[in-house]
Amino acid sequence: MSASDDPMVNHFDEVTGLLYLEGQLDEDHAGEVAAHVASCPACGQLLRALEKESVWLRESLATDDEPIPAHLMAAPQRNSAHWGWIAAFGLCAGGLYTLWNGIVAPSIAGLSQGGFSQGNVLTMLLFQGTFWKGWDAMRSLMEFLAMATLGSLVIWLLRKQWRHFTPIAFVMGAVAAALTLPPAAAAADVEHGDPSYTLSAGQEIRNDLIVAADRTRIDGDVDGDLIVFSNSLTVNGHIKGDVLAFGSAIRVNGPVDGNVRVFCQAFSLSSAVGKNVTVWTGAFELDEKSAIGGSLTMFSGTSELNGKVAGDLLAYSGSLEINGSLGRNAAIRGDRLIIGSAAEIQGQTKYTGRRQPEVASGAKLGSPIQVTIPKRGPDYSRVAYYWHRVLFWGASFLFGLMVLILAPGFFVDAGQAAKRVGPAIGFGILFLFATPIAAVIACVTIVGLGVGITAFLLWGIAIYAAQIFVASWVGEKLLGEKVGMGPAIGRLALGLAIIRVLMIVPYAGPLVAFCVVAWGIGAIVLALHRKVSPQLTAAA
Amino acid sequence: MDRRKTTGAMSEADLAQVLSQVRAGDADAWGELYRQYAPAIFRFCRRLLPAREDAEDATTEIFMKVRQKLGTYDSSRPFTAWLYKVASNHCWDTLRRRRIRQDLETGDVDALPLEHPDPGQLERLQNEHTSKEVRAGLAKLPDRARMALVLRYYADMSYDEIADTLGVRRAFVGVLLLRARHQLRDALGQSGTGMAATAGSGRKT
Repeated sequence: MSASDDPMVNHFDEVTGLLYLEGQLDEDHAGEVAAHVASCPACGQLLRALEKESVWLRESLATDDEPIPAHLMAAPQRNSAHWGWIAAFGLCAGGLYTLWNGIVAPSIAGLSQGGFSQGNVLTMLLFQGTFWKGWDAMRSLMEFLAMATLGSLVIWLLRKQWRHFTPIAFVMGAVAAALTLPPAAAAADVEHGDPSYTLSAGQEIRNDLIVAADRTRIDGDVDGDLIVFSNSLTVNGHIKGDVLAFGSAIRVNGPVDGNVRVFCQAFSLSSAVGKNVTVWTGAFELDEKSAIGGSLTMFSGTSELNGKVAGDLLAYSGSLEINGSLGRNAAIRGDRLIIGSAAEIQGQTKYTGRRQPEVASGAKLGSPIQVTIPKRGPDYSRVAYYWHRVLFWGASFLFGLMVLILAPGFFVDAGQAAKRVGPAIGFGILFLFATPIAAVIACVTIVGLGVGITAFLLWGIAIYAAQIFVASWVGEKLLGEKVGMGPAIGRLALGLAIIRVLMIVPYAGPLVAFCVVAWGIGAIVLALHRKVSPQLTAAA
Repeated sequence: MDRRKTTGAMSEADLAQVLSQVRAGDADAWGELYRQYAPAIFRFCRRLLPAREDAEDATTEIFMKVRQKLGTYDSSRPFTAWLYKVASNHCWDTLRRRRIRQDLETGDVDALPLEHPDPGQLERLQNEHTSKEVRAGLAKLPDRARMALVLRYYADMSYDEIADTLGVRRAFVGVLLLRARHQLRDALGQSGTGMAATAGSGRKT
């Protein structure tokens, strides 16, 4: 039976037979095979067997015994990723806002009031309850928003797993939302501008007032808090609670008994505020007529302080001109500080900035200004600096090696994800900011401190791990896609070296570092999501 | 050469019209195109990806890619060829992502088994196994071997297309296919009737 029984003929091998059958041989070679087959029954039999096998394979593969599943019958429409993005950005915005107004600003104010020169933020977070004063209404609203967004995000991510339970999940989500909502909504009057909203003089709102409008003017009085989302806002009436405002131009001319927190482009205050003021704005003017009973915390491009501040001043401001009076200490960080002749600072003034402050001769200061002009950037002339860089490279390489050995599957996944640069960086930036916010929310709200701190730790690890996946990508670009552990380690080492060299370049280095972190985190997130929801990767 | 499996028939002119409507954003045309090709693509994925869930997901994802990338399709070439190219790239990418230790598979691939099959035994193997068993055997093969067989004998891809999809040299495709056939024979021989693996005499050109 076997072809080798025939000793005299130069038989062809099986590959040649297959290539001949599939028409892949050149003419001369095919002619040789045909001639040989004509005179060799054994090889002819082999060819026939292979040909029958081809037919058998085609038939076996083509046999149609499995109908397409019902849920695949309808064509996929434009993917629904956009609402996932919206949900994620909603979470991001809500969380950022909560983080800022609820925790960071009061914490910083608290830190400076408490006399901490350098704060351990985590310690302060653990005692964050102290800094929540006067924030109950806002807190429950923001909690609701954050939890609702987080919930919808989770549902969206798990919808693959719950394919048939999605409606149930949504109903459950809605029920949970309905249970959470009433306390937040019942406490306030909610008004929508059409397009503008005006509370006329003489009118009075007996509880909180929430306004969303194009232009808002509050000439009447509000007994509770005033919360405004509006392009422009002018407050002339008396607000007995807090003022919380988002917008482009905000003016507060009427007295406020509580706190003022604004997030806007331009803010001017020319009235008395009973408690603290927190400002995040491009341009800020504190009028001569203004008086702040508590502390002033500000993040601002240019600012003029002409009024009175009874408490501490904490300022991060591009340029700051002080002509008013400060009752206590001032901590200022910025580019330029001018203290005019009318200024009066009772406590200590600490200033950190690139330029020496300009102090007019008439200014009254409780003590001389402590000026710190920080030396920018690392000392490139020291050998130790480069030695440290090498050590850092070694540490990151070891870390990468550990990931590669312990979780090779994840390493490959994340490496693949890093190749999709755009989505990776997009998701990376999102999660880079959203994760700490979600963690803070978890710390402060229902989920609990443990979850929050764990999330923070994982986030930190992800930031560190980000570089190894980007490094693998860089290495692959330079060394090729050779398969196996050795080449993978080589790519990692070379990629990390290149990234770390780029990171120490003056000025461009921090940007490189940011991109690497965002990109790598995105790759990690995409790789993780791939496990949770394959649809997401296609949508991205 | 176009023996690719699709349900029903759509003439070339119809297809061209449907494609231009889909490009213009017509949802009905998109539904029509999907109904025409989704079953074949689902079966294609089903043969390539071991888990049914994965095949379902892959089908959806492939069609989303198709919709995104339709602008890059060169209408002078057969649509099915392009469609299968998109599908096979997607599946191969999925498989590669899953494969944890890639080096297990590539190292010895150049070494082709040199024993020849006994034609009689081969025929018996073909007679004894149902299509379903063949597909079950296929699922046991290494990813690349399975890909090669399905791309060639289900999707009717050319050697060039297969080489391009799997990232191998064109000259290597024949070796890959033959090796895959050997592996399939072994898999069926072991699982089925207890037939001995390929027992033949070695010979060379």
